Formats: sequence, C-alpha cells, structure tokens
Amino acid sequence: MKKKLWFLLVLMFSLTLLLAACSDDSSSSDGGNDNNGNSNNEGQSDNGGDNNDGEASGPQEGGTIVYALDSEPKGLFNINFYGDAVDAQVIEFFDDSLIQYDENLKPQPNVAEWATEDNKVYTFTFQEGVKWHNGEELTVNDWVFALETIAHPDYDGPRWANVKNIEGAQAFQDGEADSISGLNVVSDYEIEVTFDQARVNNLENLWTYAMSQKEFEGVEVADMSASDQVRVNPVGIGPFKVTKIVPGESVQFEAFEDYWQGAPHLDGVVLKVIDPSLVIGELQNSQLDMTEFHPSSFDEISAMDNVEVLRAPGVSYYYIGFRLGNYDSDAGKATMDYEKYQNVELRKAMAHAINRQEWVDEFFFGLGAPINRPVPSAHWISADDADLENHFEYDPELAKQILDDAGYVDTNDDGWREDPNGEEFSVKFSHYATNNPTFETRAKTITQYWEDIGLKAELEMTDANLYYDLLEEGDEGMETFFGGWSTGADPDPTALWQSDALWNFPRWVDEKNDQLMADALDMDIVGTDQDKRKEIYVEWQQNINEQIPMIPIAELEEVLAVSDRLQGVELDLSGKNSPHEWWVKQD
Amino acid sequence: MLKYSLRRILGMIPMLFLISIVVFSLAKLMPGDALGGEIDPLNTDPEYIEEMREKLGYNDPIVVQYFDWVTGFVQGDFGQSVKYKMDVSDLILEKLPNTIFLGMMSLLITYVLALIMGIYAGRKPYTVGDHLIGGLNYLGLAIPSFVAAIFAIYFFSFQLNWFPSNGSVDIMVQEGTLDYWLSRLHHVILPAIVLGALSTASYTQFLRNDIIDNSRRDFVRTARAKGTSRSKIYNVHILRNSIIPLVTFLGFDIVSIIGGAVITETIFTYPGIGQLFVNSVSSRDYSVVMAITMMFSCLVLVGNLIADILYGIVDPRIRLD
Amino acid sequence: MNTEQASIKAPKRKNSSPWAIARRKFFHNKLAMISSVFLMTVIILSFLAPYITTVDISRVNIGETSLTPSSDHWLGTDQSGRDVFTRLLYGGRVSLTVGMSVTAIVVVFGTLIGSIAGYFGGFVDNILMRFTDFILNFPFLVFVIVLSSLLFGHVSGVWVLIAVISGLSWGGVARIVRSKILAEKENEYILAAESIGTSSAKIITRHLLPNVLSTIIVQATLLFATMIVAEAGLSYLGFGVPQEVPSWGNMLTSSRQPDVLQNKPWIWIPPGLAIVFTILSINFIGEGLKDALNPKSNR
Repeated sequence: MKKKLWFLLVLMFSLTLLLAACSDDSSSSDGGNDNNGNSNNEGQSDNGGDNNDGEASGPQEGGTIVYALDSEPKGLFNINFYGDAVDAQVIEFFDDSLIQYDENLKPQPNVAEWATEDNKVYTFTFQEGVKWHNGEELTVNDWVFALETIAHPDYDGPRWANVKNIEGAQAFQDGEADSISGLNVVSDYEIEVTFDQARVNNLENLWTYAMSQKEFEGVEVADMSASDQVRVNPVGIGPFKVTKIVPGESVQFEAFEDYWQGAPHLDGVVLKVIDPSLVIGELQNSQLDMTEFHPSSFDEISAMDNVEVLRAPGVSYYYIGFRLGNYDSDAGKATMDYEKYQNVELRKAMAHAINRQEWVDEFFFGLGAPINRPVPSAHWISADDADLENHFEYDPELAKQILDDAGYVDTNDDGWREDPNGEEFSVKFSHYATNNPTFETRAKTITQYWEDIGLKAELEMTDANLYYDLLEEGDEGMETFFGGWSTGADPDPTALWQSDALWNFPRWVDEKNDQLMADALDMDIVGTDQDKRKEIYVEWQQNINEQIPMIPIAELEEVLAVSDRLQGVELDLSGKNSPHEWWVKQD
Repeated sequence: MLKYSLRRILGMIPMLFLISIVVFSLAKLMPGDALGGEIDPLNTDPEYIEEMREKLGYNDPIVVQYFDWVTGFVQGDFGQSVKYKMDVSDLILEKLPNTIFLGMMSLLITYVLALIMGIYAGRKPYTVGDHLIGGLNYLGLAIPSFVAAIFAIYFFSFQLNWFPSNGSVDIMVQEGTLDYWLSRLHHVILPAIVLGALSTASYTQFLRNDIIDNSRRDFVRTARAKGTSRSKIYNVHILRNSIIPLVTFLGFDIVSIIGGAVITETIFTYPGIGQLFVNSVSSRDYSVVMAITMMFSCLVLVGNLIADILYGIVDPRIRLD
Repeated sequence: MNTEQASIKAPKRKNSSPWAIARRKFFHNKLAMISSVFLMTVIILSFLAPYITTVDISRVNIGETSLTPSSDHWLGTDQSGRDVFTRLLYGGRVSLTVGMSVTAIVVVFGTLIGSIAGYFGGFVDNILMRFTDFILNFPFLVFVIVLSSLLFGHVSGVWVLIAVISGLSWGGVARIVRSKILAEKENEYILAAESIGTSSAKIITRHLLPNVLSTIIVQATLLFATMIVAEAGLSYLGFGVPQEVPSWGNMLTSSRQPDVLQNKPWIWIPPGLAIVFTILSINFIGEGLKDALNPKSNR
C-alpha cells in the first residue's frame, strides 16, 4: 500500500510541476512590466509638484483617469491594421490622424494641410517637429511607408480600399513597380499625392494615418500584424504613449510631453476592460472617469450626482428593407423581379403602421429619434424633413386605408388581409440574433405593428454571423429585414444603395437613384463645390423617401459618461475631442 | 502497468484521428464565418472580405483544407485566429494560465471542503451536523452549476459585496506583488467553488460512507481493543483507507472541470479557455474552435486514462489488461 | 393504505413479488413521495398551460415591461412585458419535453446497443463498444455547442436540440446495460433457453432485459434530471432552443443583462428555482427508486 501511495504522490506532483511550468510564462513577463510600472510612478511624482501651481479656473495639470472598455480589445494596436471598434478606442489615445473632421464631418487640417486645384493632385504639408513616441520626427516618408504597407500584397488588414485610388497603387500591389508612382515626396514635410483620376471625394477616402518607418524597420509586411510593434509596444504621434498592455484586460498610458499640440494636462490614462455589469457601480464609487455605455443604463447613470452624461448625434441609422429583387453575384447585377413587395402603397402602409417613436423610446431609451432618410440628421448632406414627401408618422388608420385602397383586404374572414389577387398574404420579417434577448423583443414588436393593421407577420431570428451572408446571397427567407448602416466622412452612398451594389440588400434598381449618386461624384457637375454636391444628395434622399425601398427607422445618439472631476471633454458627431485637452479638477 | 499505459496511449491515436475528422467537418459545416459578422461600411468593403476568404483558404477544396489543418496541427501550428489576427497557440497560451489557476483552485477547494465535511459527517453519522452536511450535498448535486453561479453572483457579489462578479484580477494592482495574488485569489474563489460544487458533494458523500463502513471493520475493532485512542483510529487508520479511493477521481475531475469551465467562465466573464471557446463559436472563429475542441478531447482522453490507471493502482483486483 | 388494500384484495403470494415490494418501499419513502407529487404537479401544470392561461405568450407589451409582481401578474412581467408566470408554465413545457424526449431516446437506443453488445460479445461487442467509447470521449458540452450552432435554423429548434443531446449521451446507458447483461447472461437459465433454440431477440427481450430493468429505470430518472439541466444550460449560453421559444433556460438568459440580474430578480429567480426544485425532486425520486428496487436495502 505504501509503495502505491508513493507512486500516486509522484504522479500528482509531476502534474503540478507541469502546470506550474505552464503558468511560469506569465510570471516571467512580470519582471519587464515592473520596470515600466516604476518609471511610471516616477513620472507621476515628478509632476506632482506642478499641481499646486494650477489655477482654480483654468485647466489643472496632473492626475490619472480611468476609462472603461466594454469588451476586450483584439490587440491590434496600430491604426493601419486594426479592424475592431474596441481597438480603435485604444488607438485614439496614442495616435492622431493627419487630417480631422469637424462636427458636420467636413475635413479639416490637423497635422497636415492640403491644397488641390483639380481634385486629382493634392499637395500635403506636414507640421514640422511632430514627434513619434520613439523620439523620431514624423516626416512624409512615414506616411508613404504606411500607404505602401497597405498596398503591399502581404498586407492582411482591411484598408486597401483607401489606398487603391492613388495612381500606381494597383501596379505596386501587383508587383510591377517598386513604389507607388502617385506619391511624390517633395521634402520631409511636403508630398504630392496624385490619384488615378479626379474625384469629388478623393480626400475623404484617402488613408491619412502615418506609420513609423523606423519602428517597423526589418519587419516583413506579412509579420507586422503579429509583431510586438503592433501588439506590445505600439507607438503613435498622439498625446499619450503606451506604457503597459495586459492583453485582453488593460492598457496604461502616460502623458507624451513632446506632443505636437502641447503636453497633455493629464499625467496618464488607464484603459480597463470593465464588464458592463460593473460599470454602474464603478461610476457610483468614482472609480471610473469615462465610459461609453448601453442606452439601457441611461436613466440610472444620468441620475448620478458625480457623473455627467455627454450626448452627441451619431452616424448610424437603422432601417427595415424590403426584398424587391434578386442578385446575380457572378455578374454583379441586380434585377428587380421579386413581386411580393413591389407595390409602393403596401410599403408605405407598412411604414405608417410602425410607431417609431414608441419603439425608439422603448428599445433605445430615448437616445434616438425616428428619421425619414438614410442619412443621420447631423451630417452635412442630410436633407431637411420639410423637403421630404413622406414623414412616415404613426397612423394605423391611414395605413389600413392605404391597404384597403391598394386591394389588400381580408377576403376569407380569417382576420388577416389577403393580397389583391385574393391569395393568402404573410409578411416574413428577419432580424439578427445574438445573446442579447432584447433583439427578439424589439423585432417581435415590429411584426406586432403590422399585425395590428391586419397583415399577418412572422418573425425569424437569424444568427448574426449568418445574417448578412444570407442577405448577400438573397436567401428566400429574407423578405423584410432589419439592418443598420453608418455613414462615414465621405457621404457617398454608392456602396450601399447603387442598383448593382452587393450591399444594396433590397435589390432596389432605380435609374434616377444611380444617376443622382453618379452626379454627386461627377467632377464636371460638382467640381469642388460642396453646396452643389449637397443639393444633389438632397434630391437623392427625396427620391429614396418617395420610393421607399426601405423604411428608415431611427438614428441613434452617442453617449459618454464622464465623472465630475474630469473636465474639458467634448463630444460631437466626429467623436471625442483630443484627450490632451482634458484635465482633472483637484481639491 | 507501463505496458498498459503505453498501449492505451497508442490506442488514443486513431481515436484522436477520428475526432479530428469530426471536429473539422463540424467546423466546416457551421454556417457563416468570422468575416460575415463584421460587415460595416466604415471598416470593410466586399472586395476585402472576399480577398480574405481566398487568403484564409476558405475557398479551397475541403480535403485540401483538412490536410493543411492536420499537418499544421501535428507540427504545433494551430492556424491563425481570424478575429484576433494572431496565432491560435499564442491566444490559447494567453488564456490557459487563468483556466489552470481556476481548475487548481477548484480542485483544492473541493478536496479541502470534502475532507472537512466528509470526515466530520463520517465520524458523527446521524447527528444534526451530518444531516446538515447531507442536505448541503443534496443541493450541491442538484443545483446545476450555472444556476448556482447566477445565484452566487446575485447574493455574494451584488447583495453582500463579498466577491467580485467578474474578471480574473483587479487591474489597478501591480503585477507580481502580494496584492496582485490576493486579488487573483479573491476573483477566483467564487467561480472555483461553483465549479467544484458537484465534486465536493459527491466526495463528501463518498468519504462519509466509506468512513462509516471502515469504522465497522475488524481492524478498527482490533485497534480499539488494543487501546488505541479514538482520534488516532480515525485520523490514521480509517482516514488513510478512505482517502486513497478518493484519489482515483482525479482523472474524472479533469474531465468535469473542462465541461464546467465553459459555463462557469462565461458566467463570471473570467478570461479563460472556456470563455474564449464560447466567444469563438459565436463569432465563428474556426481555427480557435477546432484547436480548443481538439485540446479538450485530448484532455478527456488523458483524464480517462489517468482515472483507469489510478484505479488499477489503488485496487489491484481490477486487472488492467 | 397500500398494505391495507393488499391485505383485502390480493393474495399474499402476489403481494411479495419483487415489484410489489419495491412499490411498497417506494410509497413509504416520504421524500420520494413528496417529490413525486411535486413533479407531477409541475408536469400537469406545464402541459395544461394553454388551458390555464389564455394570454398570448409571445406578444410584446410595450408599456407593461419589467413590472414587479402584483395581483395582475403574479410573478411580474419581463422586459418584453410578458407575464413571467405564464412563461414559466410554457417554459416548463419545453424544458420537460426536451428532458423526457431525450431520456426516452437515450434509454431506448442505449439499451439496444448495450444489450446487443453484451449478449453477442466478441466482434460485435468490440465494434459497438469502440463506437461507444468514441462518443463518450467527446467533450459533451463542446460538441453540443458546435453541433447545435451547425443545425440551428435548418430544422425546428427544439427538435434539433433533442436530437443533438440524445446523439451524444446514449453512451453511458449503453455501457451500463452491457455490463449488466454480461453478468446476467452467465446464468444457467439463459444457457438453458439457448440450448432449446430460443431466438436471440427473444432471449434478450424476455429474459435478459426484465432483469436489468431496475437498473435502467434508475438510470432513466437520473438522466431525466441531467437532460433538463443540459437544455437549460445550453439555452442559457445561447446554444439551446431558439430565443423566441420560452424555456426555463431561455428565461434565465435574461440574467445575463446586468440590470436584470441586479435589479429585476423576479424575472430570473422563478425559472432558476423551477429548475432547482424539479431537479431536486427528480433526484429524490431516483434515490427512492434505487432503494426500492434494491433487494438488499431494508429502509
């Protein structure tokens, strides 16, 4: 017996050793982090002396703030490689764009200014003396490096679309040229960018982020997204530099004293992944200075004394699409041959049946508003409601009237309306499903609105990963469907609503629509006149509003909770202001 | 013994091969892929998605894809995570320590609690304490771990504020310090107890019954007749005999911790392998799903092997071959 | 009461058949009896749900969301404005259906495989048991998750889940039945039956199975509990029955929202308790059956 027990102990012991060896990896990296931690502490104590000089009225220096991320970042901490919204929240703190956008999403100079006469050749002039976190100076070569990395055949990020219009980019990607011919470096601070053709929106679509050439020296493009330069020690030109990254959990920053717009007021920033379940408690206990949050927490958070909620118009909108046709993905052509929802009166009635205000209040807690066009109201191209024919106000009686007139009446007394031919009529509505149980509720509510005007409606919840694939394929089950899009700096909606566009999910084919979108990009018509461009887009919105290939449902507001000690934060359509302007009120 | 183990390990190879085929086919049959869920006009364009699908080999013939995967897998290359854009092995290594820590703590808590309760109940059977422990055990066996987890979070995290309800460590503490480890411990206790509840209950039960059985045996009577003290009889003679069979459960524990970790980690948002797995299935990150499934399958095989071997050692009457 | 009846009506010989003894033992087990009554009530209430309440369970009622329990809504309403009590009844129907169906399938299939393997032995046994091992070596949860997300949307949700869980859980029953049959078939009466040319099917069904029936019954009870848990757990994680179908697991899912977990316990506590008490009662019944069917026990 004794001998056997001994064997057991050995066995168990060796197991523990094995396990211990595995966990050793994490502890060995502790040492390195410790060093960082120490230097960080020193930096804080250095600045501590300055605090007393701060005046009560103006920004005070010093202090570290805590910012909550609601889910774990993927760890691609370089703007040229990231693809995830949480990663973007991290990158914002340590990198800047060469140009920026104002509260109406119009481009403004930032690190660089630009000039162009024909919208084909642009001259960019960089500020001098802008420093990377590694001490190097930012030059136009860093931008060329970024663009050539993205155009490299081995590049695995999603930004090629923002580079391909530069003259010679395609040739570079195909390996026919050693450099992109459209990039002409004049000096360290000046560069001429030539596009393959003049476009109204060349600037908005251009990739305007640099990438430190020095930092990535010797790293093959194929290895970059996995490299330490991206994941462990990322550098940027932004107001804060990364001091420590715990993958999936936190990122620590300290002030970058050489920041080109002046040293930040704050000493540092800590980004923590905090589960949404804890955010409210952390805010209440003043453990947290800033966070985005789910609309469902809005009431609770805005009731707190020590927290201010900033609100700003958002760039995204939701819609319900009607399937009108089919898509031939090989030929890339759509034909509008799906009969069921062809009748515009039917679509109009279904729009009037929905109480959008009630729906937005219930499911977005008032942080949104119904819209009548596929453009958020704050965008500079957005059409005034007065210029739009349909306002889709909630009016079930009107909806019923329209249906009656269009021939959708209950002929067999089963309580549901039949189609004008007397056939049974049932609306299928699809919504994507995730773990969020409110999705089912809000989708169900839409079908109930339709049932209330006598249209039989079925709901199908489809797995979110599958949802857009099914829409692309034009799956039979997707008849009416919920969807959302966001509008970027460039308002051109071609990729979403042009007749043959892959993402024109209703498969709505309309010549006027295509013509207007083409006109808005046509140099001969628009030139560099932005007002003219807006005029065309207003006309485009009017057309879509009359034809109703989809019911615009709502636009959402962006919200940000900020603790009362944190000052100087602003939020608008383009996002937060630069964090170097933030400061902490000290007692 | 050695021969038997070797034979079992060799026997695992065709099994793993079969499992790999099943895992691979299942993953490939799953509808959608990681790229489909990320459609967003600000970030992606249709061309890029198509290009990535081509690059990732999603468009190759299925047999080619399988062959590529298996050859890579055998060489320790589990492929790339589409979602995280990093090697799956690195991703797993990043989360593994957390899961191992959780598993070890759970085992530790299980053994300590089971020993205390089992010994107490075994020494004083049919008393109030014994019945109390028996009742607790019933609950432990009956309450599904995820229901227990929800109730535990509600009472101990939200109402009483004793334990944090999520995460593996408080981010503000410095890594490597005592506070850091205390914080980790603080975070792991609740999920570990929940994870170990089932085993704790069955061990306690087992130990109690075994101690009662043993206390009626001849050798105890002999010892008592020789005047050995009561506590010595219980602590030395009986306990030694009762604990040994308990050790054989170790193999099964590995298996049950694997299944439990998936649910427990998800509920406590504890950043381990289980949570990674659930997230990867939801986002269709195939390479991660396949690697973790294979890993779990291997562990189940190993766990069963350990169980059988330990069983053979403890009870020589069971012939292994 | 039972003994009284027995003494009046049944002759003594019949009274002491193993089944009668078992029945008497079971009826004397208070815990098991209370549990049986409770379980029957739950089952009846759940399956009569459509007759008990006339509320449309899927209708969303904006304006009545997240109400606390009151006389109108005994257990309050959930975030969709649906009555929690009504959903609890309907949820029980789904959860119990899944549990029962899976148990039935698993028991039938497992018994079939186990008895064939055990009776014929040799090559057949080898093949079947290898296959069983193969199934048993799958990490259950992991495979159910992958399988159900694979089938989701193609077939009506509840039946997918039943098929998937059943397909992966019959191994245990097969093993137990096989080992019992192995032991049983060495008995002389089986050898005798074989020698007079009784067909294999007849030997298995007439002679072997009745003798392992008690084991199977106990196993089935425990399985029933396990399967209810499996359904609930999977639905909770989002890999079980579709979201729009109310089941106890799906109702518990709402507790994944921090606001509900923390501030609206009436939404998730009822399904949580329903699961716990149902499992507890099934376990007590199982224990009772085990005692009752074990000739050595004399409780």
